[in-house]
Amino acid sequence: MENWMKSGDGTKSLSRLAVIYDLVGIYLIGLLLLVVGVFVSDDFFTMTNLMSILNAVALLGIVSAGMAFVTYSGNMADLSIPSIMAFSGIISVAALPLGLLPALVLGILAGMLIGAMNGFVVGRFNANPILWTLAVAFFMEGFMRFTWSNNQVYPDIEPGTSGAAFIDIFRMSIGPVPLIVVVMVIMFIAGHFVMMRTRFGIESKLVGSSRAAARTTGINVPRVVLMDFLAAAFGASIAGIFITSMNKLGVFYLGKGYDFKSVTAVVIGGMMLSGGRGNMLGVFGGVLVIGLLANIMTFTGINMFQQNIVTGAIFIAVVGLHQYRLRKRGKDYA
Amino acid sequence: MVTDSDNFGVALRMKGVSKRYTGTLAVDGVDFEALVGEVHGLMGENGAGKSTLMKILAGSFNDYTGSIFIGQKKVALHSPAVAKAHGIGMIYQELSLARPISIAENLLIGHLPAKHGFLLDRKAMIQRAYRLLDRVGLDLDPLRTVEEISQHQAQLVEIAKVLGSNPCILVMDEPTSALSREEVKRLFEIIRQLKKRGMTIIYISHHLSEIFQIADRVTVMRDGRRIGTKSINEVTPAMLVQMMVGQTIDEFYVQRKSTIGEIALNVRNLTRKGFFHDVSFQARRGEILGIAGLTGSGRTEMARSMCGLAPVDGGMVEVAGRKLGRHSYGAAMEHGLFYLSEDRKIDGLFLRLPVKQNLVSAIIPRHTRCGIYSSRHENATTTELIDRLDIITSSASTEVSNLSGGNQQRVLLGKWIAADPTVLILDEPSRGVDVRAKMRIHQAVMELAGSGRTVVLISSDLPELVGLSDRVVVMCDGHLIGEMQKGQLSEESVLLAMNGELDEIR
Repeated sequence: MENWMKSGDGTKSLSRLAVIYDLVGIYLIGLLLLVVGVFVSDDFFTMTNLMSILNAVALLGIVSAGMAFVTYSGNMADLSIPSIMAFSGIISVAALPLGLLPALVLGILAGMLIGAMNGFVVGRFNANPILWTLAVAFFMEGFMRFTWSNNQVYPDIEPGTSGAAFIDIFRMSIGPVPLIVVVMVIMFIAGHFVMMRTRFGIESKLVGSSRAAARTTGINVPRVVLMDFLAAAFGASIAGIFITSMNKLGVFYLGKGYDFKSVTAVVIGGMMLSGGRGNMLGVFGGVLVIGLLANIMTFTGINMFQQNIVTGAIFIAVVGLHQYRLRKRGKDYA
Repeated sequence: MVTDSDNFGVALRMKGVSKRYTGTLAVDGVDFEALVGEVHGLMGENGAGKSTLMKILAGSFNDYTGSIFIGQKKVALHSPAVAKAHGIGMIYQELSLARPISIAENLLIGHLPAKHGFLLDRKAMIQRAYRLLDRVGLDLDPLRTVEEISQHQAQLVEIAKVLGSNPCILVMDEPTSALSREEVKRLFEIIRQLKKRGMTIIYISHHLSEIFQIADRVTVMRDGRRIGTKSINEVTPAMLVQMMVGQTIDEFYVQRKSTIGEIALNVRNLTRKGFFHDVSFQARRGEILGIAGLTGSGRTEMARSMCGLAPVDGGMVEVAGRKLGRHSYGAAMEHGLFYLSEDRKIDGLFLRLPVKQNLVSAIIPRHTRCGIYSSRHENATTTELIDRLDIITSSASTEVSNLSGGNQQRVLLGKWIAADPTVLILDEPSRGVDVRAKMRIHQAVMELAGSGRTVVLISSDLPELVGLSDRVVVMCDGHLIGEMQKGQLSEESVLLAMNGELDEIR
């Protein structure tokens, strides 16, 4: 009996922890990491380093802002994100002879075409989003390798050409702030507005909470899901253009890893995989925390592979906590 | 009847049993006694504590207080395994069968016969499964999977499974909620047989008529306490209802003066092959049109097809004189034709969302301009509905899943009232809710009709159907077989008509 009481207290304090996490959330962890960072290195709390953190997470941020809609609407994750990034980059580079602007537009459209297909199949035919987008990723990799004969696609970067301008995109700054950071912030602000204030955002939440109830409430579920996947593809396409510009070439493997990293950011930002919970502010916090964590680990000499282990472990812990809380309240109707 | 049972002695005695959840005393010092060979009805509103009391008996809690005796022996029911070992069997509302595996494996799960220690003995398994099925009067191939059989057969398989552990006390929690009248009759026959063999059956139900048919004695609970135990011969339905709600209810159904206007809903030759055929009927403004039928008669399927939630093969639907163009729920909603779905947990409510968001979920398009949703109306809308339907909730931002069943159902109805329907189809609007919630829902439905809306009421609850409807159309085997006017309506006549046994209707 005494033992039982003890474990009861233990679960209580754990769920109290979860409530605190919900309230101040991810930003408390961010603050904690800032403090840790100061101890780890003198170079940590400098404008240059903080800006470089933002710069480093900007790609992830842009992807996550889009991905958040897929998770929010109860579709877990879009695993074709890396192939969308690579594809939009390759198409942009290939279309550069048409001029910079047409190339960018075509690149984004190409990425969103994949998103439209994902959204249509998942929305209309109730395909399992994870399996479907995994299959699409596999297909797209094959398609890109076949079409471009397993080669990288290089832009013509003679000064004055649209290729040179394309390469500059990643390197442009507005004042002291890199363009990519500006774009990320705009994506989050716009995403927050769309999620909270538009009919599409509200309906995404309803679909994420219960697809069946959304249907009998008269919500056009296939259309909402289609738009959620388009949002994810839009973010991935923009990120694809930046990453291609950064690498000065387009190739099928460029977006590798962004599928999992973005879901991690979304989930530690407080969005539940079962849908309908969380907000953009939290996701932004999740992105920042991942950036801070990576930066601190780099300072302490932890290498890339070890960092992956840490990120994976955090993901497992957060998803586990979410599941635990739902079950505790007898609500694991995922 | 009671004196007979008395000779057999007491099967179960609970003395001063209490169970506290965080904050609330769900069961408060209850004394409860059930005799050998009796069917003991257990009644009470939702939240009265009857389910918690039975969960204590099933060993779901290790922290109840008070003492429990089975026969003469004092027992500590601190785990389900212990409860089972003491001969307590539970049949819950939700079935515990695994759908993709065979009936036999479901029946014998946990003690499948083995040969040579580890190989499954198929022959013995099938034989034992046959024997168990026979006890509930089922003639099924035990190798068929559960998903191949009907809902009521599955319910009987569930009973057979529990009987397999040879319980001496069997608890049934609302066992008829998914059954049609005919199936209920068969279930009652089985209960009577079990009783004859000396089994004690505790029967939880909201249905007065079932209690009067099957129970020998009845115990009523309210607010976690036992209000009283009576022999069924010394009580009337009105007395039981009074014990349950704690106040006198003079009339369940207030007489309503309906002012009936022009035709609001016109259904012509609606057909979905294999489900319903050539269904035609009309309903007028201000009218409550009941649809009677047994489960499987095609009522729900027809309603869902009518408003575009399920396919149709032919026919048409007109709302307020305008034909529905596209066959989609969106189109139906544009015309003001809404459908309150039969199972609030599956496709009615957004359980994880607050009351407020549930109440406004159907009127989002109305408050959207150029894609931007304005939430300014939300507080006023929500307050008004909570007030109007007496929804009991600590606040508008409480998750709907924390509300009691009756309040959840009111939220569901409120969602459609907010949407201002022209025609509202209600599919089992008060299933599984307590008496008070039911009355409140009925009042709201009458108000809705009183304000010139058309209500189409699908209900298995005959008093509800008879009490509320101005007119009833009857469905049987996918066909609309007749129509009954207000004057002809009684529980008996509707019941006969549903079974296709009333010739003089229409």
